[in-house]
Amino acid sequence: MAEPPEPNRKGRPRGSGSFAWRAFFQQSTTPVFVLGKGRRLRFANAACETLIGMELADALGMVCSERRHSSPLAAALAPTPEAQAGKPDKVRRAAPTGRSGPPWWDISFMPLSGEDGLIGIVGYITVVGEAIPSTPKRVPASITTLREKHAGQFTFDLFAGTSATSVRLAAQLRHAAESTAPLWLIGERGSGKETAARAIHHNGKRRNAAFVGLDCAGLQPYLLESLLFGHGSILGTDHVGTLYLKDPSALPRDLQQRLAELFLQSAPGTPRLISGSTLTAGELVGEGKLVPTFHTALSVLEITVPSLRERLAELARFVSHFVPAAVVESGVLDVLRVQLWPGNLRELADTLAEAATLATDGPLKTEHLPRELRVRAGLAPLVASKPLPLDAILEAVEKRLIMLAMRKTNNHQGKAAELLGVFRARLGRRLEALKVPFSGSPAGAAPNHSPKPQQ
Amino acid sequence: MKSPRMVVLELDGWLARQLRELATESRWLIRAVRGVDTALSLVLERSPAVLLVQFEPSEDKPSLLTLIADVHRLAPDVPVVAVADSKLPDAERAAWTAALLDLGARYVLFPPLTKSVLEDVVSGLLTAAIRRVTGEEPALPLPRPVVPTKPAETVIDLADEDVEA
Repeated sequence: MAEPPEPNRKGRPRGSGSFAWRAFFQQSTTPVFVLGKGRRLRFANAACETLIGMELADALGMVCSERRHSSPLAAALAPTPEAQAGKPDKVRRAAPTGRSGPPWWDISFMPLSGEDGLIGIVGYITVVGEAIPSTPKRVPASITTLREKHAGQFTFDLFAGTSATSVRLAAQLRHAAESTAPLWLIGERGSGKETAARAIHHNGKRRNAAFVGLDCAGLQPYLLESLLFGHGSILGTDHVGTLYLKDPSALPRDLQQRLAELFLQSAPGTPRLISGSTLTAGELVGEGKLVPTFHTALSVLEITVPSLRERLAELARFVSHFVPAAVVESGVLDVLRVQLWPGNLRELADTLAEAATLATDGPLKTEHLPRELRVRAGLAPLVASKPLPLDAILEAVEKRLIMLAMRKTNNHQGKAAELLGVFRARLGRRLEALKVPFSGSPAGAAPNHSPKPQQ
Repeated sequence: MKSPRMVVLELDGWLARQLRELATESRWLIRAVRGVDTALSLVLERSPAVLLVQFEPSEDKPSLLTLIADVHRLAPDVPVVAVADSKLPDAERAAWTAALLDLGARYVLFPPLTKSVLEDVVSGLLTAAIRRVTGEEPALPLPRPVVPTKPAETVIDLADEDVEA
């Protein structure tokens, strides 16, 4: 006779007698957690609660997976595919909480298998690495040296041309470097707005602090917000001397407003703001892409960086800057001078770099430049359209199809004609006209029109 | 235009593994390298690229930081993402972030890292780099690649032929 079943009390599974697994785990100083079959958090002991910084009641039922929208904690506790397949596994993950705590968690997963497969997973966490000391360490001196060397490349000599356009630009940039007023740089893409901003910063009053350039169109707003205003953010410290916003109109309006308010306050330590765009702040405000404060207060100075088309007189200087090691034939400049350069200096730099890779053993010649540039300069003829003789192409296709059909039917013309969907007589005519060779017909000889099927 | 690529300079392959799904979805290449010189030569090949550099703030390894500065100087269109290998207090983290951005990095990440954040940073910057090459207007995010479908009509596959006798 079967024993009467024990009451199923929490933490005391049937047959376990007086053993209470919850209490057992609670006494453990090792952080332990239990996941159900569907990867939902079912239990975490006190040590685990302390480690994850959350009470079990708040995290109970959380699906622990590494999906895109999972929280960092859920992703950290997610069982590995091996564990879900029923095999014990261990994994090292970044700790999701405690910004100054040890960096890594080693998580061991022990799957529990029942008759119907996996019923749950027990996990325990080992903290790896020593706690980061709270005393701030300085950035190594080697980086300071490197930064100084890097900054030394952004001098006003980069803009020191002889044309009136360049002379005016260089003067404007020097003037801007003497000020800390918000600046708006206008220029076509690739014209060198960020380089100009760096030159202003590295020759300005705040050159000892960092130049921070942000691509507003290339990063999602939450990433920019995190960098600027989140934990360990760079604003609010004295580390940043200039903040360069590349295309600030790409930012959402609430973030634009937040930045505008920050720079309007001009609190101590607030960096200088330089913005770069293809349009003026006024034009962007007019289009509704920018909050008005950027136009009224954050574009006190406005400098237009001219396009390469307006600076073609200085082409030789640009070429020697981009490929300093190369000897350039004079004809190259003639070819470069007649281009439109929609991508401006960036496009010129790319073109020259590619040409320089071809001119490995001698001077950079016109033939090393892309063909379309030489065509535009009248040095290379336009490629004549490739002839497309329709009859010849159709005949070639027909011949190959007939050969394929003949081969598949073992040279049986009747079956081949059926396969091709034509009358046998027509196939015979085409075999002769196209001089199709097939087994049984000597090479070069006229085909046999009534070949016997090979057995 | 050559295939866009994610060049990852790290020792353990973790970053490359996290980005594999993104690379497959977007049809981008992942080049996981361990040498600074290899990473530099890869980003100097004139194709849209993003460089991820894993660094350990507690170690004084100027070669990785020199790489960031070199890439900014030689290939300013290649965005560099610096990924720290260990956590730092807020003050120190801000100092490192500012220093790395000053050297030319476009973004700096510190633990804890999640796959989604890593993907967002890399896909955003690489999409912007592709736009600069193609000259197209901003259109984030990239559309998902179209899965080629089988042609509806029956075609004769000439490749079905055997080698000519």
